[in-house]
Formats: sequence, structure tokens, C-alpha cells
Amino acid sequence: MASTQPLYRAKRVYDVTPAAGGVGLRLSDRIVELGDREFNWYQKIAAWLPTARGLAEVSREMGMDEAKVPKFIEALERTGLLYRTGDLPASMTGLEFHKRFNEVLSSWLSEAFAHPFWQRMMSGKGSARLFTGWLVELYHYTKNANRHMPLSCAFAHEKPIKQLRAKHYAEEWNHFHYFMKSLRALGHNDEEIAASVPLPMTLALSNFMRQAARQDVLAYSICSAVLEGTTTDRKTYNPYYEKSVELYGLPKECITPIYAHLDLDIQYQHSDLFLDILQHVPTMSAERASVVLDYGHQLVEHIWMWTDNIEKYYQVESNPLPRLPFDALLD
Amino acid sequence: MTPTTTPDLPRLKRTATVTRRNGTVVIRHNRDEVTLEGAGAQLFTKLESSADGATAVDVVAAKVSEKPARVRALLDQLEKAGVMTYASKQEDGARITGLEFHKIHRELCAFWLEPIYRHPFWERVVNGTATRAQVIGFAFEKYHYIEGAFEHMGIAAANATPEMMPHLAKHFIEEYTHGDIYRHGLKSLFPDDAILRSQPLPSTRALINFLSESAQRSSFAYYSGNELLQLTENTEDVSDGAGGAVNEFYDAMIKHYPYTEPLVDSFIAHTKADQNLGHADAFLEMCKSVPPMTRREVNDALNVAKDMAEHLLLFMDGIDTFYANFPVLPRVPCDPLSE
Repeated sequence: MASTQPLYRAKRVYDVTPAAGGVGLRLSDRIVELGDREFNWYQKIAAWLPTARGLAEVSREMGMDEAKVPKFIEALERTGLLYRTGDLPASMTGLEFHKRFNEVLSSWLSEAFAHPFWQRMMSGKGSARLFTGWLVELYHYTKNANRHMPLSCAFAHEKPIKQLRAKHYAEEWNHFHYFMKSLRALGHNDEEIAASVPLPMTLALSNFMRQAARQDVLAYSICSAVLEGTTTDRKTYNPYYEKSVELYGLPKECITPIYAHLDLDIQYQHSDLFLDILQHVPTMSAERASVVLDYGHQLVEHIWMWTDNIEKYYQVESNPLPRLPFDALLD
Repeated sequence: MTPTTTPDLPRLKRTATVTRRNGTVVIRHNRDEVTLEGAGAQLFTKLESSADGATAVDVVAAKVSEKPARVRALLDQLEKAGVMTYASKQEDGARITGLEFHKIHRELCAFWLEPIYRHPFWERVVNGTATRAQVIGFAFEKYHYIEGAFEHMGIAAANATPEMMPHLAKHFIEEYTHGDIYRHGLKSLFPDDAILRSQPLPSTRALINFLSESAQRSSFAYYSGNELLQLTENTEDVSDGAGGAVNEFYDAMIKHYPYTEPLVDSFIAHTKADQNLGHADAFLEMCKSVPPMTRREVNDALNVAKDMAEHLLLFMDGIDTFYANFPVLPRVPCDPLSE
């Protein structure tokens, strides 16, 4: 029975919430309700599948007869909580891949923005300092697009994809000015912002994009698509800005350039770029599709960790804002 | 650093803090602390606002109605104590030797590493409140971080300056198998294939990528950053008791999480392997090899080391926070059905 383990994998569960008599597990396409006892068993199976532990051990942990465990696994497969690795398609077209991406994007974004920072800011437990720090990091992230966008052009091999990536870069390269304007409205001067250095996780985002650009232009493009996905709908971001202005006494002028930037992104239809690129991909092997998808999800995790880094650094009042590079003479 | 002219334009170090109590002035900067009393404290209080890096010593003296020699004497003492500097030195073109750099680097790294040694994760393991995911996650991230040597050490050796090449080649050759030491420990809990395919946390990926990016553009700055990591491995027989703290940590880990014994064995095996290879002296040898450095080169190499410390803190935050919120292990990569 040890051979069962490589045959199954657990689907990603995005959320677990209490439900009548048990819990609801949110997958990208459904909510699966389990009783408390079944949920406990499911957790043990999900943890056991990728391990070197034998069936006897998990059977003992679950308090279930060894012979019944495979049947329970099959039942979990029917709910959609597990899937058979053998069911993976050998290949897919670029458009099929895009459809799959679209089906999971909203779940991914919910994961990326599940960090308690957002709730804290919206509930009034944040601060003007946290808002400003987040803007400084956004400035650096946007400026650092110049470290990865041209690299994605350099490492793209097919002419139409090169063109699309280059056009995107041409439209985006100087957008950091919008955030500079916002920071100016918050009382910072251009020189100190331009001379400042990003937080490690802000730098990590652009380094990860550089890694993706070198690996595969589709890996890069899915990361870009996840980021663009965060700016397509005014309903999702306006409340954060409006509420921050209201709660933390910020000048309205500091959010006007941000809206202008977001509106420009929409006008350029950057959220459609991934589809435009994938139209030029006739087929993707399962291996390539997995690698590309994995880059997208890693980017989601980067956003979560980025938020964590911003909150941890800027909530400490004595930490410099903006951060200057170290100077052996002056420091 | 040898000045070419008498230094001028005094400036209190940017990160220095000044506190006052009962006529006493305490100036703290990194690990340095200076206490001024009586006339010295009074003179410092009068001139503090003029020590801005833009006012000449003579002008400062005139402003506070003191003899320039007395003002300079105090400023020089404060410079010697490490809390004051002269901005005129920015332009003096002086270079420092590799050995001088090594001393400065060593002192600063000890200070920059302090927040890492104070990270709450260590205490959580020692008192047994860390979760299973955090503890096993720690082992996985250490594995990824060491396995990352293939990337950053390979890039460093391939882009090395002539002086650094023999050192970086030797270091790569001695280190590239070390990920397997950690992998061996993890194999007690997970199939080999799952370990090999597993993904590092974004914070661990950040650390590896930062080293790789640094390695591409400056061999010496890269190793200045890598040396900070190396210092955390060189814990045997050190006077501040770091070695003892590490042993205490491992003992607690086995006590509270008995299944981690093979993992702890792998951690210890790696530390011993590094110590037997003499990696504690590797950076000193590199510093002896490089030509004298400009202020810009010094700042670049020190910024990489400081950034490395921040990445190491991020690495700890990732293990502590990410595994607390997303306790899934091993971190298997996505496929078209997993999402």
C-alpha cells in the first residue's frame, strides 16, 4: 500500500471555515464540507501523502483499519480534495493554459492579500507611517521594473512574444514617477526617495522576476499577469486608499497619482497581455505548464511575504523612513 | 584610512543616538558607547547641532565661543570612539587595505547579526512552542539555503576577478555537496524525490537570489555578504558563547521534537564540515589578496553584508511566520491539477 502515496496529491485549500457540523474547505472551484472527524482524517492523509511514512502509521494515527484507508482516499478524490497524479494532461495549448490560470487567479489573489496587514489598515489599527512605508516600497518595486522587464525581452525567443514584452516595458518603465508624486504629497522630497534603498523583500520581488525572466518568458509573464491582476478592478483597491485617507489623515493628493497609474494600466489593457502572449504558444508540455504555473504561485507567496516585511519594518517607529544605504564614513 | 589633509566638517554618525541625564551625555552608535560628563558634556551639547557635516571646525568653534583647539580635541576623541566622523574624508581619495576592511567588516557584521540571534523563533524551539511545520520547515529552509550554493557560488566563481577566482573556485568545490548533508537528514521523514522537488519559501529564495545577483556584479562584495552567513556557522570556541547557545538549541529541539534527531545530526555534521575545511579563515585570505579599495568599493561590499543580514532576518521571519500561516510540508511545486 506504500505505493498509494505517489499516486495522489492534495489540491490546494485556500481557506477553511466553520460549517454546520464541521468545516468548509475552499478549493479554487468549489467548497467541500467535511464533518469534524472526516476533516481530521483528511488532514492526516494530506500530511501523510508526501512523506516516507508507511500506511500502518497513518492508519494508526487515524484510528482506521488499514484496509479502509484506500477507500477513504478514493472518497476524498471524489470530493475534489485529492487528485490522481496520473490524470495530469501530457500537454495543453497556450489558450488552455490561460483558461486554467484564469480559473485560479482569484483564489491566488485572495491568498496573496490574506495578510492581516490589510485588515489592520482598513480597521483603523494601521498608521500613516505604514501607509507611507508601503508607498515607498511600491515606488521601489515599480522603479525596479527596469531590472526585470527588459531582461524578459532579452530572454524571449519568439518574435511576437518579444514584441509584446517590449511594448509592455515601453509603456511601464517610468511609472515609478506616480509613486514619487504621491510621496511628495506626503512631505518627502525627490532626492531622499531616489537615494533610498528598498526593503529586502521588495528587492526580492524584482530578483524573483529576474529569475523568472531568465528561466522562461512564460514563467515571467505569469508573474506579471498575477501582478496586473491586482489592478484590474477599481472596486478592489479604491476602498483601501479612500479608507486610509479617512482614517490616517492623509492628504487626498497622495492617492490621486495612484489612481492615475491604475487607470493607465487599465487603459493599456495590461491584464490581457498574458492571453495575447499565450495565443502564440501552440503547445506546452505538462512539465512546462507546471513550471510556469508554479512561478505564478510563488509570486503570490512573494506578495504575502512582501506585505509581512513592510508591516514588520515600518511599524517600528525608530526605523528610518526612507531607508538610506549604509555609508562606512557617515554610519 | 590615511587622510591626505586635516579632516574637517565634523558630523555625528547618522545612526548615533544621544541621551542626556543629570548633566551626563551618552552617545551610542552600534556597539560603541561614549559617556561625557562635566565640561565635555557641556561643550558637546553646545556644538551638537553644528556637527552636521557641513560646518568647518573653526566655524563650529566660533559659534560656541570656544577655542578651535578645544573643539577639535573633543571631536577627535569622539571620532576615535567611533561616534563622530569628518565629512571632508568623503573626498580625500584614501583607500583602505583588504586587512583593514576585514577588521571593519568583522565588527559591523557582529553588530548586524544581533537581531538574527535575538529572533523569537529560537526561543520558540527552545521552549517547545514552535509547531511541527515551523521545526521541519526550518530544516527544509536550511537545506534550500545550503543547496543554493550551486547557484550563487557557481555564479560567483564564473564571474570572479583574477584575485578572487582561486578562493571562489575552492569554496564552490568544497561546498557544493553540503546540501546533501541536510538532504540526508530530511530523508528520515520524506522521500528523496519530494525533497529534491520541494520549493523554498520566498524569503529563502530572496536570500539565494540576492547572493546570486551580488555574485554577478562584484566578487568581493558578494563574498563580503556570504561571509556574514559563514560567521553564523563558525560558532565553535567563540568567546561570546554563541557555540554554547547553538548546542542548547539543538538539545532543546531533540527534547521537544524527537523526530528531528536525524535533522539535528545533519546540522551538526554541516557545521563540523565547514569548520574542518577552515572556512572561518577563507574571507581573511581573500582580504589579503585584493588590492586596496576605494570608499565606493568599501561601501558597496559593506552594503551587501548589511543587506545580507537583513535577508537573513527575513529568512528567519519566513520560517517563523510563513510556516505558522501555511503549515504545508513539503512545499511541493504546482501542477495543472494542484490548484
